[in-house]
Amino acid sequence: MLTISLKIEFAGGLELLFSNQRSHRISIPSNPASTPNEPPKRADITYLIHWLKDNLLKERVELFIENGTVRPGILVLVNDTDWELEGEGSYELMDGDEIVFISTLHGG
Amino acid sequence: MSCENPTTDPDALMNRRPKFDKAKTCIKCKIAEGNIVIRHAVYCKDCFFPLLKTKFKRSLEPFVNRLPNGPRKKALNPSGNLLIGFSGGLGSTVLLDLVHKSYFSHRKPRESGGEVEAVPEQQETGAGDRYRDPRQERVWKKAAVCYVEVAGAFPGMKDRTEDIQRIVESYDDFEFVPLKIEDAFNGEWWESVDQCPSSSLLNFDISNEELPFFQSDSTRLTPLERLHTYLSRLPSPTAIPSTIRTLTRLLLLYTAHSTSSSHLLLGTSLTSLSISLIASVAMGGGFGVSEEVQEEWIPPRSGIEGRKEVGVRVVRPLRDVVNKECATWAWWNGLTVVGQETVPGFKQTIGGLTKDFIIGLERDYPSTVSAIARTCGKLTPKDEAGGQCVMCQRPAQRGMEIWKQRISVRSLADLEEAPSGIPIGTQENQPSLSPYLCYACHATMTSKSSRANPSSTNGPKLPTSTSDSKTVSNLVPLPVWVTARLFGPADKVQAEDPSREGSGDALRDGEVWRNVELGREEMRTAVKDFLLDQDE
Ligand SMILES: [Zn+2]
Ligand SMILES: [Zn+2]
Repeated sequence: MLTISLKIEFAGGLELLFSNQRSHRISIPSNPASTPNEPPKRADITYLIHWLKDNLLKERVELFIENGTVRPGILVLVNDTDWELEGEGSYELMDGDEIVFISTLHGG
Repeated sequence: MSCENPTTDPDALMNRRPKFDKAKTCIKCKIAEGNIVIRHAVYCKDCFFPLLKTKFKRSLEPFVNRLPNGPRKKALNPSGNLLIGFSGGLGSTVLLDLVHKSYFSHRKPRESGGEVEAVPEQQETGAGDRYRDPRQERVWKKAAVCYVEVAGAFPGMKDRTEDIQRIVESYDDFEFVPLKIEDAFNGEWWESVDQCPSSSLLNFDISNEELPFFQSDSTRLTPLERLHTYLSRLPSPTAIPSTIRTLTRLLLLYTAHSTSSSHLLLGTSLTSLSISLIASVAMGGGFGVSEEVQEEWIPPRSGIEGRKEVGVRVVRPLRDVVNKECATWAWWNGLTVVGQETVPGFKQTIGGLTKDFIIGLERDYPSTVSAIARTCGKLTPKDEAGGQCVMCQRPAQRGMEIWKQRISVRSLADLEEAPSGIPIGTQENQPSLSPYLCYACHATMTSKSSRANPSSTNGPKLPTSTSDSKTVSNLVPLPVWVTARLFGPADKVQAEDPSREGSGDALRDGEVWRNVELGREEMRTAVKDFLLDQDE
């Protein structure tokens, strides 16, 4: 199966949920099949979020995921750009992409 | 949870606006591709930095000079030093960085002396030939950063003072002032901020709505033990975080006062401001809402001869900046956010629920949250403030008790069977705290949630003195500033009216206190000028 390599960073306290490690290099399938009946499609950020939950997340899933996407208050940057400008969860990942998840929840 | 979360409403999901207006190009320079969306507006990275700095300065600089909103061309000339409240959280991490970048790094120490000449905005650069350019000088002569460690309040919580110290010391120009939350009950801390030590300690009975107070012999308890007693007796889970907030606030204010600071800056963002405004209204703090946005604190008289009391202006320079902007600033500047540990049980409190609600709202409807904060900022209480609450030292509403009776369903019969079981007659002779508290502080100490009051099953008792060991469970120590106020050396009545000297002494001096039994009316007369007026 073809894979793509990504650099993942966690900040603002989110790293605590991922073995207290800020920076991760991962490889994920480039065309994962979502269900056996569906044709494979390009891996997007929504897929990545679930992949991170299944493979890297160590504790307290509710602090990372809510309603199938990242929990409100988590900022996502794709190659230094707000994912809201890149289609959010439907952004299709490319080899070498750098994805940053930053918690904004640690108040004043 | 019955609060509906906007993100789970399918209609809201389908009709949600795109997160940004029009194109992906930066709306400022109109050239670069955008990097970040702030309330529907797109900015590139280069334009984001000056944007945030401008918002920060716009919320701070009009309040630097003693007279707020003075002419904009006038140079910044604060009347004292600067204190920054630092929690290690996102907002104050960004605040520290912005203050340093804007007013300290690359600036010369400020010369002492009078007014600084104004410099027109356009001449910001190339002013090297000017003998004294205020833009090249620090705005405040000295700046200190105060951190209040709350770990003492929660067993098992990690003390992060060292992590915090590392961050503060990475900035050359800031002095570090570490405190602990239990200092609120620590006489040594109280003296360290130049306040007169109290001649006595006071306890109050938290099981009685009147909150009668007594002279205490609990000097053997450590400040930490006093804090634990206090927190463990609070009537609801919501009361704990709001109490921690109040204690932290007063620790910061007195530290500001003792460092001759004219300004205390807090890292409250628009997001956290909206959360605390809504939570504060929900907890009965509606009267203090405008103080959440902007406040000027003048300490009660210290009693030290010749001391000129200077007020401290509390400013929240990030009150127009959302958490997303703070997180972006921190990330792009490589700042370390130590983070604040979540207070155990916080999620179930009014504050915790409000936070979840606002954070969800901010993601899906980013303009709504700022509207909340702006509206609250405009709210001003109808009634004139009746005095200063002895606990939080915010303006308290006149006639609080009368108002509370009006909205309360209690009958006199209820009162007589109050959980404390103290006969009304006893209360008459006992000075009590409740007339001197604002509504929010009174509610924090007395509003029960589902938790039953443990004393209700114990039958009547008469906690007339702390030496009675059976009553110790309901007796709670008071923070040092409350004791100082109720029992301290500052006695305005005495100073202004020599005929009151006798009762003034009785209040002031522990010896006399024990021997002279003051009637309630007599007591009230003696202290009326620096306590709330409840007779109107
Ligand atoms: Zn731009
Ligand atoms: Zn109060």
